[in-house]
Amino acid sequence: MKNILLYTAITIFALSCQPVQKERQGKLKVITTTGMIYDAVLNIGGNLVEAEALMGPGVDPHLYKATQGDLAKLQNADLILYNGLHLEGKMGEIFEKLSRIKNVHAISEDIDRSKLRASQVYENAYDPHIWFDVKLWKEAVVFTTKTLSKSDSINAKIYQANSSAYLKKLDSLHGATISAIDSIPEPQRLLITAHDAFGYFGDAYKIRVEGLQGISTLSEPGLKDITKLVDLIVDNKVKAVFIETSVSKKAINAVVEGCKDRGHDVIIGGSLYSDAMGSFGQFEGTYIGMVSSNVNTIVNALK
Amino acid sequence: MDTLYIISTGAIVAITCGVLGCYLILKKMAMVGDAISHAVLPGIVIAFLLSGSRDSVTMLLGAGILGVLTTFLIEFFHTKGSLQSDASIGVTFTWLFALGVILISMYAGDVDLDQDCVLHGEIAYVPLDLWILPNGSIMGPRTLYISGFVLILVLLFVIIGYKELYITTFDPAFASAIGISTVLWHYLLMGAVSLTTVASFESVGAILVVSLLIAPPATAYLLTENFKKMLWLTAFTGMLVSILGYYLAVWIDGSIAGAMSSVAGLFFLLALIFSPSEGIIAKKLRQQKLQPNNS
Repeated sequence: MKNILLYTAITIFALSCQPVQKERQGKLKVITTTGMIYDAVLNIGGNLVEAEALMGPGVDPHLYKATQGDLAKLQNADLILYNGLHLEGKMGEIFEKLSRIKNVHAISEDIDRSKLRASQVYENAYDPHIWFDVKLWKEAVVFTTKTLSKSDSINAKIYQANSSAYLKKLDSLHGATISAIDSIPEPQRLLITAHDAFGYFGDAYKIRVEGLQGISTLSEPGLKDITKLVDLIVDNKVKAVFIETSVSKKAINAVVEGCKDRGHDVIIGGSLYSDAMGSFGQFEGTYIGMVSSNVNTIVNALK
Repeated sequence: MDTLYIISTGAIVAITCGVLGCYLILKKMAMVGDAISHAVLPGIVIAFLLSGSRDSVTMLLGAGILGVLTTFLIEFFHTKGSLQSDASIGVTFTWLFALGVILISMYAGDVDLDQDCVLHGEIAYVPLDLWILPNGSIMGPRTLYISGFVLILVLLFVIIGYKELYITTFDPAFASAIGISTVLWHYLLMGAVSLTTVASFESVGAILVVSLLIAPPATAYLLTENFKKMLWLTAFTGMLVSILGYYLAVWIDGSIAGAMSSVAGLFFLLALIFSPSEGIIAKKLRQQKLQPNNS
C-alpha cells in the first residue's frame, strides 16, 4: 500500500508545470465542435485552413462523447471554436478554462446577451441554439472571421473578403426565410417540434414555436405537455408536426396518435435539422442548405 | 504526456474504486455505484435552483450531498425496513432519480440540466482540463489532483480502519460482540463510496466508475480467497485495465471509458474461465476427478 502512495505522489509531482505552446507549420488547423461552425470556417477560410468538426451529422451535441482521436485533434489545433452557452455541456466548461492558455473561442462570445433568449426564471442560462436566427448567426460568422484573421494574420485580407461575400449570401438567406414563412397563412403559422431548439427561429421569423420537450434532450415530456399540445393542434387545425434528425421521434408520435383520437388528422411534416446538419458534402450538410431545407419542409407541410 | 495523464488518472480511479468495490461486493451492495450515478440528479437540480449556476463546484456539492443521502437511505430501508439490500438500493435510487426528473420539469424545463451535461466528466478530456493558477502557471490536469487526493483519503481510511472494516464486513455478529459498531463502520464506508463515486463521475464519467467499482474486485474475488490478496489483485487489475483499455481505445479510435470498461469485463471473463479455484475449467477437471472412471 505504501508503494502505491509513494508512486502516486511521484506521478503527481512529475506531471505538474508543463506549458503547451507549439509553433505552427503549414495551414491553420481549426477544430470546431458542431458542423454549423465548421461550415462557417470553411466558407471564410476556404483552402487556407484545415478545418474539422468533432460532431458529425445527426449527433446530439448535448450528449457527445469524445474519442481518443478527438483529444489529439484538440491538442494539435491552432484554433478551437465552440458554440458556447452550454450547448456542449461539460466540454464547454473545459474549453472556457482552456481559453486562458490556448487559442479557444466560443463563437457566441461577442453576441450581446440582450439579444439572446434567456431562461424565463434564471439569469445566465441562455438558449444555445443561436444558428436558427440567420441574423444572429451572422454575428457568429463575423466573430469567426475575426478570430481566424487574428490567428493567421498573413491571410487576414482573404478571410475578410470571403467573409463579406458569405455574409451577403446569409443576408439573402435571411430575406428568403422571412418571405417564405410569411407565405404561410397567419393561423397556420405554428411550428410543433420534439424539443425546444427552434425558439430563435420563431422569434426571428414570426412563427409560433411549441416544443414538446424542454431544452435538455434528457427531460421527458409530461402527460400534461402532450395533452396541451394536442389541444393546441386540434383547436388550430394544424396540418403537420415535425421530427428532428438528432432527437428521438417517439414523443412526437404520441402527439400524432392523441390528435387522431380527437378526430383530427395531423401528419408528420418531415424531419428538421436542429442540433446537427445533414451529411457533409450534401446540400443539407451546409448551413445555408440546412436552413433552406428546414424552411422548405416547414412551408410545404403547413401551407 | 497526454497518454501518461490519461492512464494515470484511469489507474488512480481504478484503484480507489476497486478497493472500495471489494467491500461492496462482499456486502452484496455492488450496485451502489450505479444507484448513486442516478440518485444525484435531484442534488444537481436543487444546487442549480439555489445558486443559479451550473459550474462544477456547485454541481459537485449538490451531487455529493445527495450521494451521501442515498447511501444513508439505502441502509435505513435495509435495517429499519428489513428490506433486502438489492431491493433497498433499487427503491432508493429510482425514487431519487424520479424526484430529479420531476424537479427539472417543474422548475427548470428551459435550462439544459442533467448529469451528462453538468456533472459527468470524460476521461479523454483529462489532459485538457488543466489547473491554472491565477498568475497563469499551469499545474497539470485538475482531475489528476482531485482523483489523487481521493485515492489518498480512501487508502488512509482503509489502512487505518482495516481491522474494523474487515470484521464488520465478514462477521457483523462477532464485531458487535467485541464492541465494534457495525452501523458506524458501514456508514463510514458508504460515505467514502459516495464521495469517491461522485468525485470520480466528475473526473472520468459514470460508465467507467460503475464498471471499475465492480469488475476488478469481482475478478479478484474469483482468483483468491484471501481478502488482503483480493485488495492487491484488484489494484493490480485496475491498473492493467487502465493501461490496456487506453491502448485499445487508441487502436479502435473509440471512447476511452468504453474501452477501459470492456477490458475490465474481459478480465472478469478470463478469470471466470481460467481461475485455478473458481474457474469453469478447474471445476470441470475437479468433477472428472471425483467421478470414478473404472467401470
